[in-house]
Amino acid sequence: MDNHQFRAGVKAALPIVLGYIPVGMAFGVLARQAGLTPIEVGLMSFFVYAGASQFLAIEMILKGMAWVPIVIATFFINLRHLLMSSTLSLYFNRNRIRTLGLLSGELTDESFAVAMSNTSKIENRPAYLFGLQITSHVAWVMGSVAGALFGGLIDHQSYGIPFALPALFICLLLLQIKKIHHLLIMVIAGVSSLFFKWALPGNWYIVLTALLASGIGMFLNSKVQSSKLKSPLTPPSPLGGERKVASTRNRGEGSRGTESMRKQ
Amino acid sequence: MRPEILILILGMALVTFFPRFFPMAFFNQRVLPEKVKKGLEYFPISILSAIVFPILFSNGGGKIEIQPQYLIAAIPVFLFAWKVKSLWGSVILGMALYWGLGFVL
Repeated sequence: MDNHQFRAGVKAALPIVLGYIPVGMAFGVLARQAGLTPIEVGLMSFFVYAGASQFLAIEMILKGMAWVPIVIATFFINLRHLLMSSTLSLYFNRNRIRTLGLLSGELTDESFAVAMSNTSKIENRPAYLFGLQITSHVAWVMGSVAGALFGGLIDHQSYGIPFALPALFICLLLLQIKKIHHLLIMVIAGVSSLFFKWALPGNWYIVLTALLASGIGMFLNSKVQSSKLKSPLTPPSPLGGERKVASTRNRGEGSRGTESMRKQ
Repeated sequence: MRPEILILILGMALVTFFPRFFPMAFFNQRVLPEKVKKGLEYFPISILSAIVFPILFSNGGGKIEIQPQYLIAAIPVFLFAWKVKSLWGSVILGMALYWGLGFVL
Protein backbone atom coordinates (compact mmCIF):
# COMPACT_ATOMS: atom_id res chain seq x y z
CA MET A 1 0.00 0.00 0.00
CA ASP A 2 1.36 3.36 -1.04
CA ASN A 3 1.17 5.61 2.01
CA HIS A 4 1.53 8.86 0.14
CA GLN A 5 -1.33 8.05 -2.23
CA PHE A 6 -3.44 6.75 0.64
CA ARG A 7 -3.04 10.04 2.48
CA ALA A 8 -3.86 12.02 -0.65
CA GLY A 9 -7.05 9.98 -0.92
CA VAL A 10 -7.95 10.66 2.71
CA LYS A 11 -7.49 14.38 2.10
CA ALA A 12 -9.66 14.29 -1.01
CA ALA A 13 -12.47 12.74 1.06
CA LEU A 14 -12.78 15.63 3.51
CA PRO A 15 -15.55 17.48 1.62
CA ILE A 16 -17.50 14.19 1.62
CA VAL A 17 -16.93 13.83 5.37
CA LEU A 18 -18.46 17.26 5.84
CA GLY A 19 -21.64 16.00 4.21
CA TYR A 20 -21.66 12.41 5.52
CA ILE A 21 -21.41 13.19 9.23
CA PRO A 22 -24.59 15.29 9.48
CA VAL A 23 -26.53 13.17 6.99
CA GLY A 24 -25.34 10.05 8.83
CA MET A 25 -26.54 11.61 12.08
CA ALA A 26 -29.93 12.28 10.53
CA PHE A 27 -30.06 8.61 9.55
CA GLY A 28 -29.12 7.54 13.07
CA VAL A 29 -31.89 9.65 14.58
CA LEU A 30 -34.53 8.26 12.22
CA ALA A 31 -33.31 4.69 12.67
CA ARG A 32 -33.64 5.04 16.43
CA GLN A 33 -37.18 6.26 15.97
CA ALA A 34 -37.86 3.15 13.92
CA GLY A 35 -36.66 1.05 16.84
CA LEU A 36 -33.13 0.11 15.80
CA THR A 37 -30.48 0.00 18.54
CA PRO A 38 -27.26 2.03 18.11
CA ILE A 39 -25.38 -1.23 17.43
CA GLU A 40 -27.84 -2.18 14.68
CA VAL A 41 -27.52 1.31 13.22
CA GLY A 42 -23.72 1.01 13.20
CA LEU A 43 -23.82 -2.44 11.62
CA MET A 44 -26.19 -1.32 8.91
CA SER A 45 -24.07 1.73 8.06
CA PHE A 46 -20.94 -0.42 8.07
CA PHE A 47 -22.20 -3.36 6.00
CA VAL A 48 -24.73 -1.71 3.71
CA TYR A 49 -23.15 1.75 3.40
CA ALA A 50 -25.69 3.17 0.97
CA GLY A 51 -27.47 6.32 2.11
CA ALA A 52 -30.55 6.34 -0.08
CA SER A 53 -31.47 2.71 0.51
CA GLN A 54 -30.80 2.95 4.25
CA PHE A 55 -33.22 5.86 4.55
CA LEU A 56 -35.76 3.95 2.49
CA ALA A 57 -35.29 0.86 4.68
CA ILE A 58 -36.11 2.92 7.78
CA GLU A 59 -39.21 4.30 6.12
CA MET A 60 -40.32 0.79 5.21
CA ILE A 61 -39.60 -0.53 8.72
CA LEU A 62 -41.75 2.29 10.11
CA LYS A 63 -44.53 1.15 7.80
CA GLY A 64 -44.18 -2.32 9.28
CA MET A 65 -42.77 -4.01 6.20
CA ALA A 66 -40.74 -7.22 6.36
CA TRP A 67 -37.14 -7.70 5.28
CA VAL A 68 -37.84 -9.24 1.85
CA PRO A 69 -39.47 -6.19 0.22
CA ILE A 70 -36.83 -3.94 1.82
CA VAL A 71 -34.01 -6.02 0.36
CA ILE A 72 -35.68 -6.03 -3.06
CA ALA A 73 -36.12 -2.23 -2.96
CA THR A 74 -32.46 -1.87 -1.92
CA PHE A 75 -31.37 -3.95 -4.89
CA PHE A 76 -33.22 -1.75 -7.35
CA ILE A 77 -32.07 1.52 -5.78
CA ASN A 78 -28.46 0.43 -5.95
CA LEU A 79 -28.52 -0.80 -9.53
CA ARG A 80 -27.13 2.59 -10.52
CA HIS A 81 -23.84 1.46 -9.03
CA LEU A 82 -23.53 -0.92 -11.99
CA LEU A 83 -22.85 2.15 -14.12
CA MET A 84 -20.37 3.69 -11.72
CA SER A 85 -18.54 0.43 -11.19
CA SER A 86 -18.27 -0.08 -14.96
CA THR A 87 -16.80 3.39 -15.34
CA LEU A 88 -14.31 2.85 -12.51
CA SER A 89 -13.16 -0.40 -14.08
CA LEU A 90 -11.57 1.64 -16.89
CA TYR A 91 -8.99 2.94 -14.45
CA PHE A 92 -7.93 -0.32 -12.85
CA ASN A 93 -6.22 -2.87 -15.00
CA ARG A 94 -5.81 -6.45 -13.96
CA ASN A 95 -5.84 -5.98 -10.21
CA ARG A 96 -6.28 -8.80 -7.73
CA ILE A 97 -9.90 -9.70 -7.12
CA ARG A 98 -9.44 -8.93 -3.41
CA THR A 99 -8.33 -5.38 -4.20
CA LEU A 100 -11.26 -4.90 -6.56
CA GLY A 101 -13.68 -6.23 -3.97
CA LEU A 102 -12.37 -3.82 -1.39
CA LEU A 103 -12.54 -0.85 -3.77
CA SER A 104 -15.92 -1.57 -5.32
CA GLY A 105 -17.55 -2.59 -2.04
CA GLU A 106 -17.21 0.97 -0.76
CA LEU A 107 -18.42 2.67 -3.90
CA THR A 108 -20.90 5.49 -3.32
CA ASP A 109 -22.27 8.31 -5.49
CA GLU A 110 -20.10 10.82 -3.64
CA SER A 111 -16.83 8.91 -3.66
CA PHE A 112 -17.38 7.96 -7.30
CA ALA A 113 -17.94 11.58 -8.28
CA VAL A 114 -14.90 12.81 -6.35
CA ALA A 115 -12.78 10.06 -7.92
CA MET A 116 -14.02 11.09 -11.38
CA SER A 117 -13.20 14.76 -10.79
CA ASN A 118 -9.54 13.97 -11.41
CA THR A 119 -9.11 10.59 -13.02
CA SER A 120 -5.33 10.93 -13.31
CA LYS A 121 -5.23 10.52 -9.52
CA ILE A 122 -7.06 7.20 -9.46
CA GLU A 123 -5.65 5.54 -12.56
CA ASN A 124 -4.11 2.33 -11.29
CA ARG A 125 -3.76 3.82 -7.83
CA PRO A 126 -5.88 1.64 -5.58
CA ALA A 127 -4.32 3.21 -2.46
CA TYR A 128 -5.65 6.65 -3.37
CA LEU A 129 -9.18 5.40 -4.03
CA PHE A 130 -9.07 3.24 -0.91
CA GLY A 131 -8.05 6.25 1.20
CA LEU A 132 -10.86 8.31 -0.30
CA GLN A 133 -13.46 5.61 0.28
CA ILE A 134 -12.47 4.33 3.71
CA THR A 135 -12.47 7.90 5.07
CA SER A 136 -15.97 8.50 3.71
CA HIS A 137 -17.10 5.12 5.03
CA VAL A 138 -15.77 5.84 8.54
CA ALA A 139 -17.49 9.25 8.52
CA TRP A 140 -20.80 7.63 7.54
CA VAL A 141 -20.59 4.97 10.27
CA MET A 142 -19.48 7.47 12.93
CA GLY A 143 -22.15 9.98 11.94
CA SER A 144 -24.96 7.45 12.07
CA VAL A 145 -23.86 5.93 15.40
CA ALA A 146 -23.51 9.43 16.87
CA GLY A 147 -27.00 10.26 15.64
CA ALA A 148 -28.37 7.05 17.16
CA LEU A 149 -26.64 7.68 20.50
CA PHE A 150 -27.04 11.42 20.95
CA GLY A 151 -30.15 11.91 18.88
CA GLY A 152 -31.40 15.42 18.66
CA LEU A 153 -28.24 17.26 19.73
CA ILE A 154 -28.06 18.86 16.29
CA ASP A 155 -31.10 19.71 14.25
CA HIS A 156 -30.21 18.13 10.92
CA GLN A 157 -32.48 20.51 9.05
CA SER A 158 -30.51 23.50 10.29
CA TYR A 159 -27.06 25.05 9.66
CA GLY A 160 -27.44 24.45 5.94
CA ILE A 161 -26.93 20.70 6.44
CA PRO A 162 -29.52 19.69 3.79
CA PHE A 163 -27.44 21.56 1.21
CA ALA A 164 -24.04 20.02 2.05
CA LEU A 165 -24.26 17.11 -0.40
CA PRO A 166 -26.14 19.05 -3.12
CA ALA A 167 -23.37 21.71 -3.05
CA LEU A 168 -20.76 18.96 -3.33
CA PHE A 169 -22.56 17.45 -6.32
CA ILE A 170 -22.91 20.84 -8.02
CA CYS A 171 -19.17 21.45 -7.82
CA LEU A 172 -18.42 17.90 -8.98
CA LEU A 173 -20.80 18.34 -11.92
CA LEU A 174 -19.01 21.51 -13.01
CA LEU A 175 -15.64 19.77 -12.75
CA GLN A 176 -16.93 17.29 -15.35
CA ILE A 177 -17.56 20.03 -17.91
CA LYS A 178 -14.32 20.09 -19.86
CA LYS A 179 -15.56 20.66 -23.40
CA ILE A 180 -18.34 22.73 -24.87
CA HIS A 181 -20.50 19.75 -25.85
CA HIS A 182 -20.44 18.60 -22.22
CA LEU A 183 -22.72 21.54 -21.41
CA LEU A 184 -25.21 20.19 -23.92
CA ILE A 185 -24.99 16.71 -22.38
CA MET A 186 -25.59 18.25 -18.95
CA VAL A 187 -28.76 20.00 -20.10
CA ILE A 188 -30.03 16.91 -21.94
CA ALA A 189 -29.32 14.71 -18.91
CA GLY A 190 -30.85 17.24 -16.53
CA VAL A 191 -34.08 17.61 -18.46
CA SER A 192 -34.45 13.88 -19.10
CA SER A 193 -33.81 13.10 -15.43
CA LEU A 194 -36.69 15.40 -14.50
CA PHE A 195 -38.89 13.63 -17.01
CA PHE A 196 -37.90 10.11 -15.89
CA LYS A 197 -38.29 11.03 -12.25
CA TRP A 198 -41.77 12.28 -12.92
CA ALA A 199 -42.72 9.30 -15.09
CA LEU A 200 -41.23 6.40 -13.13
CA PRO A 201 -41.14 5.28 -9.50
CA GLY A 202 -38.01 4.84 -7.41
CA ASN A 203 -34.74 6.05 -8.78
CA TRP A 204 -34.79 4.48 -12.20
CA TYR A 205 -34.37 8.03 -13.45
CA ILE A 206 -30.64 7.98 -12.69
CA VAL A 207 -29.95 4.77 -14.63
CA LEU A 208 -32.13 5.73 -17.60
CA THR A 209 -30.73 9.25 -17.78
CA ALA A 210 -27.17 7.93 -17.70
CA LEU A 211 -27.85 5.50 -20.54
CA LEU A 212 -29.72 8.01 -22.68
CA ALA A 213 -27.37 10.96 -22.18
CA SER A 214 -24.24 8.81 -22.65
CA GLY A 215 -25.73 7.45 -25.86
CA ILE A 216 -26.29 10.98 -27.11
CA GLY A 217 -22.80 11.90 -25.95
CA MET A 218 -21.31 9.03 -27.93
CA PHE A 219 -23.24 10.12 -31.00
CA LEU A 220 -22.14 13.76 -30.69
CA ASN A 221 -18.59 12.64 -30.07
CA SER A 222 -18.51 10.51 -33.22
CA LYS A 223 -19.93 13.45 -35.20
CA VAL A 224 -17.19 15.74 -33.91
CA GLN A 225 -14.52 13.12 -34.63
CA SER A 226 -15.69 12.40 -38.18
CA SER A 227 -16.07 16.08 -39.08
CA LYS A 228 -12.50 16.59 -37.85
CA LEU A 229 -11.26 13.75 -40.06
CA LYS A 230 -13.13 14.87 -43.14
CA SER A 231 -12.33 18.54 -42.71
CA PRO A 232 -10.32 19.90 -45.63
CA LEU A 233 -9.11 22.65 -43.32
CA THR A 234 -6.77 20.36 -41.38
CA PRO A 235 -3.70 22.51 -40.77
CA PRO A 236 -1.27 21.56 -43.51
CA SER A 237 2.05 22.90 -42.34
CA PRO A 238 2.66 22.59 -38.57
CA LEU A 239 3.89 19.23 -37.34
CA GLY A 240 1.18 19.22 -34.69
CA GLY A 241 -1.52 19.02 -37.34
CA GLU A 242 -0.29 15.78 -38.79
CA ARG A 243 0.01 14.18 -35.41
CA LYS A 244 -3.40 15.30 -34.29
CA VAL A 245 -5.06 13.63 -37.23
CA ALA A 246 -3.13 10.45 -36.59
CA SER A 247 -4.21 10.37 -32.99
CA THR A 248 -7.87 10.93 -33.82
CA ARG A 249 -7.69 8.05 -36.24
CA ASN A 250 -6.11 5.87 -33.60
CA ARG A 251 -8.89 6.61 -31.23
CA GLY A 252 -11.43 5.44 -33.74
CA GLU A 253 -9.69 2.11 -34.06
CA GLY A 254 -10.64 -0.49 -31.50
CA SER A 255 -7.58 -2.53 -30.76
CA ARG A 256 -4.81 -0.01 -31.12
CA GLY A 257 -6.59 2.65 -29.10
CA THR A 258 -7.10 0.14 -26.35
CA GLU A 259 -3.45 -0.83 -26.31
CA SER A 260 -2.32 2.75 -25.91
CA MET A 261 -4.85 3.29 -23.13
CA ARG A 262 -3.58 0.26 -21.26
CA LYS A 263 0.00 1.47 -21.45
CA GLN A 264 -0.76 4.87 -20.02
CA MET B 1 -29.50 -7.84 18.24
CA ARG B 2 -32.70 -9.19 16.75
CA PRO B 3 -32.27 -11.89 14.11
CA GLU B 4 -34.69 -10.27 11.64
CA ILE B 5 -32.69 -7.03 11.71
CA LEU B 6 -29.47 -9.00 11.19
CA ILE B 7 -31.01 -10.80 8.20
CA LEU B 8 -32.21 -7.46 6.85
CA ILE B 9 -28.73 -5.91 7.17
CA LEU B 10 -26.98 -8.89 5.57
CA GLY B 11 -29.56 -9.06 2.76
CA MET B 12 -29.21 -5.36 2.03
CA ALA B 13 -25.42 -5.63 2.17
CA LEU B 14 -25.44 -8.50 -0.31
CA VAL B 15 -27.68 -6.86 -2.90
CA THR B 16 -25.74 -3.61 -2.54
CA PHE B 17 -22.37 -5.29 -2.95
CA PHE B 18 -23.26 -7.18 -6.11
CA PRO B 19 -23.90 -4.22 -8.47
CA ARG B 20 -20.88 -2.44 -7.02
CA PHE B 21 -18.54 -5.35 -7.46
CA PHE B 22 -19.65 -7.25 -10.54
CA PRO B 23 -18.85 -4.75 -13.34
CA MET B 24 -15.48 -3.92 -11.85
CA ALA B 25 -14.49 -7.57 -11.55
CA PHE B 26 -15.91 -8.44 -14.96
CA PHE B 27 -14.52 -5.57 -17.04
CA ASN B 28 -11.21 -5.53 -15.23
CA GLN B 29 -10.05 -8.71 -16.91
CA ARG B 30 -11.28 -7.72 -20.35
CA VAL B 31 -10.44 -5.24 -23.04
CA LEU B 32 -13.48 -3.08 -23.67
CA PRO B 33 -14.40 -2.01 -27.20
CA GLU B 34 -13.46 1.60 -27.84
CA LYS B 35 -17.10 2.54 -28.42
CA VAL B 36 -18.12 1.30 -24.98
CA LYS B 37 -15.26 3.22 -23.40
CA LYS B 38 -16.38 6.41 -25.12
CA GLY B 39 -19.87 5.86 -23.77
CA LEU B 40 -18.59 5.22 -20.25
CA GLU B 41 -16.81 8.57 -20.34
CA TYR B 42 -20.20 10.28 -20.34
CA PHE B 43 -21.54 8.39 -17.34
CA PRO B 44 -20.11 10.70 -14.65
CA ILE B 45 -21.54 13.88 -16.15
CA SER B 46 -24.92 12.24 -16.89
CA ILE B 47 -25.21 10.71 -13.43
CA LEU B 48 -24.26 13.97 -11.72
CA SER B 49 -26.77 15.93 -13.81
CA ALA B 50 -29.43 13.37 -12.89
CA ILE B 51 -28.61 13.91 -9.22
CA VAL B 52 -28.38 17.72 -9.27
CA PHE B 53 -31.33 18.73 -11.49
CA PRO B 54 -34.07 16.92 -9.53
CA ILE B 55 -32.76 18.45 -6.28
CA LEU B 56 -33.34 21.92 -7.74
CA PHE B 57 -36.40 21.42 -9.91
CA SER B 58 -38.43 18.56 -8.48
CA ASN B 59 -40.22 17.88 -5.23
CA GLY B 60 -39.55 14.56 -3.53
CA GLY B 61 -42.45 12.89 -5.30
CA GLY B 62 -41.13 13.61 -8.79
CA LYS B 63 -43.44 16.50 -9.66
CA ILE B 64 -41.67 19.34 -11.45
CA GLU B 65 -41.61 22.13 -8.91
CA ILE B 66 -38.88 24.71 -8.38
CA GLN B 67 -37.25 24.40 -4.96
CA PRO B 68 -36.51 28.08 -4.19
CA GLN B 69 -34.20 27.57 -1.20
CA TYR B 70 -32.13 25.02 -3.11
CA LEU B 71 -32.17 26.87 -6.43
CA ILE B 72 -31.23 30.29 -5.06
CA ALA B 73 -28.41 28.78 -2.98
CA ALA B 74 -27.27 26.80 -6.01
CA ILE B 75 -26.67 29.76 -8.33
CA PRO B 76 -23.76 31.33 -6.40
CA VAL B 77 -22.38 27.84 -5.75
CA PHE B 78 -22.43 27.17 -9.51
CA LEU B 79 -20.52 30.38 -10.19
CA PHE B 80 -18.09 29.79 -7.34
CA ALA B 81 -17.47 26.18 -8.35
CA TRP B 82 -16.97 27.27 -11.96
CA LYS B 83 -14.37 29.91 -11.06
CA VAL B 84 -12.60 28.43 -8.03
CA LYS B 85 -13.16 24.68 -8.53
CA SER B 86 -12.95 24.03 -4.81
CA LEU B 87 -15.07 21.24 -3.32
CA TRP B 88 -14.56 22.44 0.23
CA GLY B 89 -15.38 26.02 -0.66
CA SER B 90 -18.51 25.00 -2.54
CA VAL B 91 -19.82 22.92 0.35
CA ILE B 92 -19.18 25.63 2.97
CA LEU B 93 -20.56 28.40 0.76
CA GLY B 94 -23.60 26.32 -0.16
CA MET B 95 -24.39 25.46 3.47
CA ALA B 96 -24.01 29.09 4.57
CA LEU B 97 -26.26 30.35 1.77
CA TYR B 98 -28.89 27.70 2.36
CA TRP B 99 -28.87 28.39 6.09
CA GLY B 100 -29.14 32.14 5.55
CA LEU B 101 -31.96 31.72 3.05
CA GLY B 102 -33.85 29.71 5.62
CA PHE B 103 -34.31 32.92 7.63
CA VAL B 104 -35.43 34.97 4.61
CA LEU B 105 -37.69 32.62 2.66
